[in-house]
Amino acid sequence: MKKFVYLIFAGLLFFSSSILHALEVIEILGGKASQIPIAVMPFKNFGAQNNIAKINSVIKSDLGRSGLFYALDTRGVTTTPNSDKEINFSLWKTLEAQFLIIGRVDFIQEEKMKVSWSLIDIYKQQTILSGEYVGKKNQIRAIGHKVSDKVYERLTGSKGVFHTKIAFVEKYNHQKYKLNIADYDGYNVISLLDSKMPIISPRWSPDGEKIAYVSFEKEKPVIYIQEIATGKRKLLANFKGNNSAPAWSPDGKRLAIVLTYSTNSQIYLINADGSDVTRLIRSRSITTEPTWSPDGDEIYYTSNQGGGPQIYKFNLESSEISRVTFEGKYNLYPSLSYDGKLLLYLTQDQGKFKVALQNLQSNQVLKLTKGPLDEAPVFSPNGHMVLFVYKDYGKTTKIGTVSINGLKIESLPLGSRQVQEPAWGPIKE
Amino acid sequence: MGSNKRISKNKLKGNKLKKSILLTALLGILAAGCSSTDLKESQPLNPPQPELQSMLSDDNEGTAFTSPDLNLLELRGNPLLAKDKRGIYFDFNKYVVKQEYMEVVQAHAKYLNESPAANMKIQGNTDYRGSHEYNLSLGQKRAVAVKEALNSFGVDDSQIETISYGKEYANLDCVEQNSCGEDRRAEVVYIVE
Repeated sequence: MKKFVYLIFAGLLFFSSSILHALEVIEILGGKASQIPIAVMPFKNFGAQNNIAKINSVIKSDLGRSGLFYALDTRGVTTTPNSDKEINFSLWKTLEAQFLIIGRVDFIQEEKMKVSWSLIDIYKQQTILSGEYVGKKNQIRAIGHKVSDKVYERLTGSKGVFHTKIAFVEKYNHQKYKLNIADYDGYNVISLLDSKMPIISPRWSPDGEKIAYVSFEKEKPVIYIQEIATGKRKLLANFKGNNSAPAWSPDGKRLAIVLTYSTNSQIYLINADGSDVTRLIRSRSITTEPTWSPDGDEIYYTSNQGGGPQIYKFNLESSEISRVTFEGKYNLYPSLSYDGKLLLYLTQDQGKFKVALQNLQSNQVLKLTKGPLDEAPVFSPNGHMVLFVYKDYGKTTKIGTVSINGLKIESLPLGSRQVQEPAWGPIKE
Repeated sequence: MGSNKRISKNKLKGNKLKKSILLTALLGILAAGCSSTDLKESQPLNPPQPELQSMLSDDNEGTAFTSPDLNLLELRGNPLLAKDKRGIYFDFNKYVVKQEYMEVVQAHAKYLNESPAANMKIQGNTDYRGSHEYNLSLGQKRAVAVKEALNSFGVDDSQIETISYGKEYANLDCVEQNSCGEDRRAEVVYIVE
């Protein structure tokens, strides 16, 4: 029990964005001690012809990916309890499980099933959360993600992101491009757009209904906004020169964009309907990659005004500009956590390109990945995970997730696709 | 790019012109828009534009386009303007036109000044490392740096268009192959040549 209290305490400290603590956690890399050990038993199958075993592997994989849980190997456990009354608690204590998930799947009719599940606290020796979902056979992964979300929220106090969507660009046949969306874990890929010219910078609208992106289809970069459900799209910005780097304001009414006209990249604001374009920052240097603080008061961006690219912020009310990154000579691609306390970016460190995480209060920096050719890090909507692109020497680009405590780094199962620039969609109820 | 080859196979007559036609065909494809649509109505590659067609079917020094204002003989004859000298290369994260390229830049400036009908595109590129957007801006800076060098020799902005492809056409394996320098370039292309 004492150990568990310590872990939750550690978790709270970490989520209050203490990088100092994160550094301590990092030091026990590979150690399971800082993660919550949980056992996820195979769900019992009543009347199903189909293999529904994967529901527990979905949950295991979700919780594991977060970096906060350690999914125990339960292959040696031969009897699966039906409820907390049947549990041999001393066995689970021996296995060092602190929590246990059990469940069953009942087939109602041919296509429909009911999934019942319970989360059991081994120390309290009781069920602390349970639920039931009814769905179709092909929704088994979605139901698994829902269970993971409930468990995650109950045990960490933060919303889970396991039912969210991501978007990413896929390059195929050398010079063809697709804009895809998928489940957060890379399953169920759907293409929204197919183009013979590059697509970059996909960004979800805050309501998750639309994606803004940059397409080179007009011989140069222009910005589109596309509705996901209908596939309808409209041109947001097609001004002289380059139009790129769309960033939605938190209320979804405006976007920060980058236009060059006939000179260099400058940040402008534009309404989501394409009206009212105003320049935000006047500079002789490159200013690009705008991203809004969650309160909408500031815009973080990349500028090379000091030589190499660094991240700065612009206060919309005072127009004051201040530099945010100081460590290293090459820092770009800012992404903020939902609470505005943590900043992610790409940094060049001893010739390698790595994902950096900076606490904006203490300004301590933690390198989350090792490189050599990482890029495009973005936060999950709960700020606990990061999507990023990585490339090993001689290989193609892949998308991976890394937990912000650095304990879990994993690739998405996207096969041999050449992928770039993931964007993480919002949590939708 | 496979699509270039397709066009050149169908239309190409003289080997001498092959290289220039390939480049021109590339431009034509870019110009053709390659518009994206919804997946269901994926469109075929647009046919080359009329200018390109007549250019391609014309293997005798492009007489259709030889007007005094274009000075095509000079463009094709001056070794400083040759296609293999059209790349201006930069250091990592830099956009200063190095002194060694000034002779070539000056030759292009002279040609543009003497050929008021000639139009040039400067395409900025970067190597694969870093982010797409920053590299798009960096490529733009490189294109603008070349434009400004041309401006300094008296060329008017109306003859030059600057565009950036950023890292979109960069070699993903340049670090392994130690060839990233090849991607850090601004390329000079004439709209008609």
